[in-house]
Amino acid sequence: MLTTPDLAPLDEEITFDQLHLDPYPIYRRLRAEAPVLRVRSIGRTFLTRAADTKFVKDNPALFSSDDPNTPMKPAFQAHTLMRKDGPDHLSERMAMAPALMPGAIHKVWQPLYRELAEAYLDRLPKDGIVDFHTEISGPIAARILAHILGIPEASDAEMMRWSQTLMDGAGNFAWRPGPFEACDRANAEMNALFERAVERVRAEPNASAFSVMVNAETPIPLSQIYANIKIAIGGGINEPRDALSTTLFGLLTEREQLEEIRRSGGWGAAFEEGVRWVAPIQASSRRATEDVEIRGCLIPKGDTVMTIQASANHDEELFEHPERFDAFRAKNPHQSFASGPHHCAGSHVARRTVGQVMLELVFERFPNLSLPEPEAVQWRGFGFRGPINLPVRLN
Amino acid sequence: MKVTFIAADGTVTEVEVDEGQSLMQAAVSHDVDGIIGECGGSMMCATCHCYVDEAWAERVGAQQDGESDLLDCAVSEVRPGSRLSCQIRMTAELDGVVIHLPEAQL
Repeated sequence: MLTTPDLAPLDEEITFDQLHLDPYPIYRRLRAEAPVLRVRSIGRTFLTRAADTKFVKDNPALFSSDDPNTPMKPAFQAHTLMRKDGPDHLSERMAMAPALMPGAIHKVWQPLYRELAEAYLDRLPKDGIVDFHTEISGPIAARILAHILGIPEASDAEMMRWSQTLMDGAGNFAWRPGPFEACDRANAEMNALFERAVERVRAEPNASAFSVMVNAETPIPLSQIYANIKIAIGGGINEPRDALSTTLFGLLTEREQLEEIRRSGGWGAAFEEGVRWVAPIQASSRRATEDVEIRGCLIPKGDTVMTIQASANHDEELFEHPERFDAFRAKNPHQSFASGPHHCAGSHVARRTVGQVMLELVFERFPNLSLPEPEAVQWRGFGFRGPINLPVRLN
Repeated sequence: MKVTFIAADGTVTEVEVDEGQSLMQAAVSHDVDGIIGECGGSMMCATCHCYVDEAWAERVGAQQDGESDLLDCAVSEVRPGSRLSCQIRMTAELDGVVIHLPEAQL
């Protein structure tokens, strides 16, 4: 007799605040006891095992990104490539891709990043305690992104405010008016600045994302060029910021590993481990386009699953002592940049700027850098996660 | 059908591949070091770069549309035999193909 699989079990205990403060013990329990679970407080079906999250991301025909009815649309005033599939997604993504590819990175962005990073580190005092997260990690991420996008006149503070406003709007699933009003103001400011940037790169083309898109042989519509730049602002600051602060936290609390990396130069591996350990983007959503069965549970057509890559990165099936920062893993198949057509477009930039420039430079400048009180560092976030402070002693 | 992967350090791994599977999938499913395939074959990540052995180059064929843009992103040097292994599908004609792996993908 044919049987229809049951829906995934329903959890009514887990709260958003628990996930926001410390989701990792919850995910460890879910991987063992309920790897497919409907979580009432979030309104999504959680997938917490690595094989399942990868299966979803690798099968975009079964699990669509296409959803014009999320808060993302009012926040960005556009239906963006993040929420599109197939050729529509591809044409908009490839329009911007050349600015984010290693060709441009090696020639233009990496040397510029080094110069900018040195200038920002110069501003720090010789010794004493500073909050590295707010003084350096955030501003340097904003600065390099402003250059990559072709809007260097935008200040660090503007870039960071726009980014946070867009993210708050995109995550406004309660559909409260406040965050959308803030987005409207930010969009007006960005649009005004973008109009000038378009004129400038038309007159003087360069390697920036704006220039590459505006000066393409067959450009995508200007509205989508603006949307792409806004997506990059919304998604291109907090992630490298959090990756840098998280990796520094790992290295500063595992001094033996730090010393070994200073001898061997494995900064790239330290970066990979940082983003595995605490994934800057912890979860993402996909909509089932037909009935699918995962681990014996029915995911009905139209249901939205949440791939918890934070949990996939701690899956005991793939990682030994997953809860520990270990930059010397033989293999590190983390999913922090995701998989499939929506694989992070900024991964090459992040790997080469944060991983290959910043970490080494920080310890070159401040060889005695330390974290006197690791327990003073606070970690926050369910969808996006990282430390919100990093009080380091410089010398 | 078989594929032979030769790592940068000379390690030889021979794996069984089904028709239609990509060489990236074959390498990843057999845990072959040296191929990552982070984006799962969507031509987005350039972490499945490989060098097709000269003797097989003609049978494997030329790069697909868009492949060279991604290969520009690869970390290891691009040579005449460079391909993204996610874009090479196994066929009977390729049984026994020899693939060299670069030193690094990230």
